[in-house]
Amino acid sequence: MLARSALRSARSAGAVARNAASKTTSRSSSTSSSTAEGAASSWKTNALPAGATAFAIGTVAWYYHLYGRNVDAMTPAEEGLHPTSYPWAHEKWHKTFDHQALRRGFQVYREVCASCHSLARIPYRSLVGTIMTVDEAKALAEENEYDTEPNDEGETEKRPGKLSDYLPSPYKNDEAARAANNGALPPDLSLMVKARHGGCNYIFSLLTGYPEEPPAGAVVPEGLNFNPYFPGTGIAMARVLYDDLVEYEDETPATTSQMAKDVTEFLNWAAEPEMDERKKMGWKVLAVTSVLTALSVWVKRYKWAPIKTRKLVYTPPIQTKSPITSKLPKPDQKS
Amino acid sequence: MAGLSDFVYNTFLRRNFTMLGTVFVSAFALQMAFDTGSDRIWDSINRGRQWKDIKAKYVQAAEDDDE
Amino acid sequence: MQTRNASDAPASFNSPFKGSASSTSIPSFAAYRNKSKGENGPKMMQYFMVGTMGALASLGAKATVQDFLVNMSASADVLAQAKVEIDLAAIPEGKNVIIKWRGKPVFIRHRTESEIKEAEDTKWESLRDPQSDADRVQKPEWLIMLGVCTHLGCVPIGEAGDFGGWFCPCHGSHYDISGRIRKGPAPLNLEIPQYDFPEEGKVVIG
Repeated sequence: MLARSALRSARSAGAVARNAASKTTSRSSSTSSSTAEGAASSWKTNALPAGATAFAIGTVAWYYHLYGRNVDAMTPAEEGLHPTSYPWAHEKWHKTFDHQALRRGFQVYREVCASCHSLARIPYRSLVGTIMTVDEAKALAEENEYDTEPNDEGETEKRPGKLSDYLPSPYKNDEAARAANNGALPPDLSLMVKARHGGCNYIFSLLTGYPEEPPAGAVVPEGLNFNPYFPGTGIAMARVLYDDLVEYEDETPATTSQMAKDVTEFLNWAAEPEMDERKKMGWKVLAVTSVLTALSVWVKRYKWAPIKTRKLVYTPPIQTKSPITSKLPKPDQKS
Repeated sequence: MAGLSDFVYNTFLRRNFTMLGTVFVSAFALQMAFDTGSDRIWDSINRGRQWKDIKAKYVQAAEDDDE
Repeated sequence: MQTRNASDAPASFNSPFKGSASSTSIPSFAAYRNKSKGENGPKMMQYFMVGTMGALASLGAKATVQDFLVNMSASADVLAQAKVEIDLAAIPEGKNVIIKWRGKPVFIRHRTESEIKEAEDTKWESLRDPQSDADRVQKPEWLIMLGVCTHLGCVPIGEAGDFGGWFCPCHGSHYDISGRIRKGPAPLNLEIPQYDFPEEGKVVIG
């Protein structure tokens, strides 16, 4: 149908100009007719798809030009230096946290970080079985006092902490924390690894990235410290980790980077205490589902086997000298 | 060999009901085996990293008065 | 289910239609034929594959359902507060202590010898909610029960009432020194929570 109309319109030369658009469409879709007088008008055949492609690319390019590009509101200094990627063992998909490191990291947190930073989402009970024994956690909880429930007179009293209590915060509230720190609020560290771009790498780089003195030309505002990894490079927290600041109970040498690594891994645990279980569950699920996939492929092939292996036999009818079709009128000859 | 497979076929697979029962019982067994096996592999990959590996050190210290 | 073997089948198919016998031939399926002798071997294989798939799928379904059900149980922070540990050494003999447990008051009474004797000697079979004192305490000197009146939920007052136990001020229910209802509208004895003594001088409720 299409082929015939293309042929007809090609034959009548006057019709070319009249409906050029419809002609190119019909010709490009009729492959058989284009061979007849193809070479002369091949550029017309390709004009529409080429034009459409150019238009599409142009539209995408124009749209990208308008809306697609990154708008950098900040200079690289304001973004902060991208942290180095370190080969964290606990970030591998088949590795758990190193619980010895978690224990050291918690020691660093308690002796260094806890004087300014809270860890308010971690209860003592979650330390049991990951970082300390029940008795150690109970003893630690009892070092701090918590409010009791209101008594008959509606007054609260102080009681020693229990396993169900959460780790104490160094300040009563955010305002007190700001007042004590020159207006800067030490953020809660419970979810810090999840909350910062770069995660563990960022925190480790930040803790170990304080230079001896700011580079020439760097502007460090009053009361701030220079750290290239911190967005804006001016950070209220001064360098806190120095070699042998804490004394590890397992006698690991307490270098700056060792402490930074341990406390970073501990903070990763604080943010993702479910990680070990999650990874284990994940690869169990993968193992079962891959076996299940293989089995279901087998079963599919098994169920389809009768249909896939059937054979159709066609025996052509016996040919005679004058086939019956030759007696039918030919449709082309009449017109 | 043929005798064994005949026996297994006739006992467990012939009737739909016994087949279903076999599947569920073996699912139960499979789960236990899979859980134990995967736990063992996981623990061997992470030897020395988990709390149960280092727990002994810290329980010993406080063993006298509790548990 | 056809149990016919391939060897039983005739080599060629005789069509009932007239004159077509010569033109019909059955193609060879020899390539697909079962090579082993019996038919149970391949069947075992097929059922094994299908059955294993069913078993693994039911494992997955079970784990999914279980996860949803576990999701409904109490969370870890609630469970952590569900138990209360009390130091009994701080409670002198003949004194009541009221503590809060899961939002409800719990009475702890350090009973004296005479009170224990009184509680045990009471003819409990004829009471409204008959219960012996031995059923209500684990250690006779420590009476631990929920401080919620079984009538309408007021908190009874200790060391009051006609029977030397508790007295509910709301509607006048009297409980004896074992917390049993003796007089007034309340239908049942004061409830006993779950508790145990993990070591001397300590009780864990919950």
